[in-house]
Amino acid sequence: MVSKNSDLSQNLLELVAREGMVDISEIKPENRLEDLDIQSADFVMILMALEEEYGVYISVDNELSDVETVQDLLNLAQAKIEEHQKETNA
Amino acid sequence: MNRVVLTGMGAVSACGLGSDALWAAVVDGQSGVRPVNFSNISNQRVGQAAALSSETLEALGEELAHRMRDPVAVYAVRAAREAVAQAGLEADDFGETCGVIIGSGFGGAKTLDDNYMAFGVESKMRLDPMAIPKIMNNASASWVSIEFGATGPLYAPSSACSSGSQAIGLAYQMLKAGAIERCLAGGSEACLVGGVFRVWELLRVMTADKNRPFSKDRNGMTLGEGAGIVVLETLDSAKARGANILCELVGYGTNSDAGDLLRPNPERASACMQAALRDAGLNPSDVGYVNTHGTGTVANDVTEVCALRAVFGEDLGGVRVSSTKPVHGHALGAAGAIECVVAVQALRHQMAPPTINFNEVDPKIGLDPVANSACAFDSRAVMSNSLAFGGINASLIVARFDG
Repeated sequence: MVSKNSDLSQNLLELVAREGMVDISEIKPENRLEDLDIQSADFVMILMALEEEYGVYISVDNELSDVETVQDLLNLAQAKIEEHQKETNA
Repeated sequence: MNRVVLTGMGAVSACGLGSDALWAAVVDGQSGVRPVNFSNISNQRVGQAAALSSETLEALGEELAHRMRDPVAVYAVRAAREAVAQAGLEADDFGETCGVIIGSGFGGAKTLDDNYMAFGVESKMRLDPMAIPKIMNNASASWVSIEFGATGPLYAPSSACSSGSQAIGLAYQMLKAGAIERCLAGGSEACLVGGVFRVWELLRVMTADKNRPFSKDRNGMTLGEGAGIVVLETLDSAKARGANILCELVGYGTNSDAGDLLRPNPERASACMQAALRDAGLNPSDVGYVNTHGTGTVANDVTEVCALRAVFGEDLGGVRVSSTKPVHGHALGAAGAIECVVAVQALRHQMAPPTINFNEVDPKIGLDPVANSACAFDSRAVMSNSLAFGGINASLIVARFDG
């Protein structure tokens, strides 16, 4: 389970780097997205990729309003993916 | 300067045909939001919208089969007929002195979607030869002008979610200045088609849950469709024909943010409301109810409440505030016009319709709106706000006509 989750974290980190157009070597979980110059248009690209790869719909709203760091975003994405998998398996 | 009065109104919405059906739904909190399915979206993520009901579509049946009209024009003509009938306008009341100003965000979205699907997916060369005149954004206004023989100035503002409010505001300014004697003004939108819905999904401002403006658990907006049309006249011309005056349009403010295309600016929104109050010669305390833009996105909620506090005072000075979008949806280019109809009805009934689906005050904004059931007020004026993408703000103020 641990390795599965860390695989997911790694995949998500790669996704954020790719869609946010940031070099993955520069991204640390504690980085603030704003300091990485990830803007609202990049968010929309990241969320589109999350939908394509994991089937989750996250609106640019309440759920995202408390997201400040890369880790916050990974946590939200991970929670949404798990929620979605439960729904799909139900 | 002429005084401007409103003598008729019409609406087509998810709540049914007519401004009374719209009012009955908003005041009772009966939502017109229903499941929607688009055949050209695989894995649709958002499953509901305030779409016209099957009964309404059936009632519009033959009109929707018109070979030269996209549904957007059908809705506009239908709402205009209702407004004209209520105003009691006759053939001689149109002509050069009557303008038509009807806005739309997307124009003929269904025609565009159908033809792109046929062209791009099926490689068909036999497309709808009437696609251009059906898609063009001024088609609704043009069909309404043709319907009644209104040969005065015609405009079709396309300013996203402020189109309908700006259409009514522009008509008011032209009447006030004496450029025309009467005008059919409003907005129409028929955007609930697969291609448009999908790109709204991708912008991710729609909630997959219920639309809950100002509520702590809000998570985005819900799209709608329909039309709202009003008949506006100079007071002199309305009196000359012995018209029944429903209310007076006393103030209009509009401005732009010139900032971010998508993120609204509270200072510009409050400046817009203040401009409308100045134009009306009213104090904030004269306004008893504000029908907000109230989309139910966190960006709009925070901005609009901040702007309202700047205008009406930190405690909002007793003004009732609500959003009726969870009932009729966010009808984009028609939104301001549909909500103007709601504002006029609220003024005439002295009743603030509720923000339904509201669960809990959000500490971020601290607003306790008129929630879940309607609330009576005693006031001579009502404001309606539109805050559009592109940074376009518009506020209208209607007031009791006291002679």
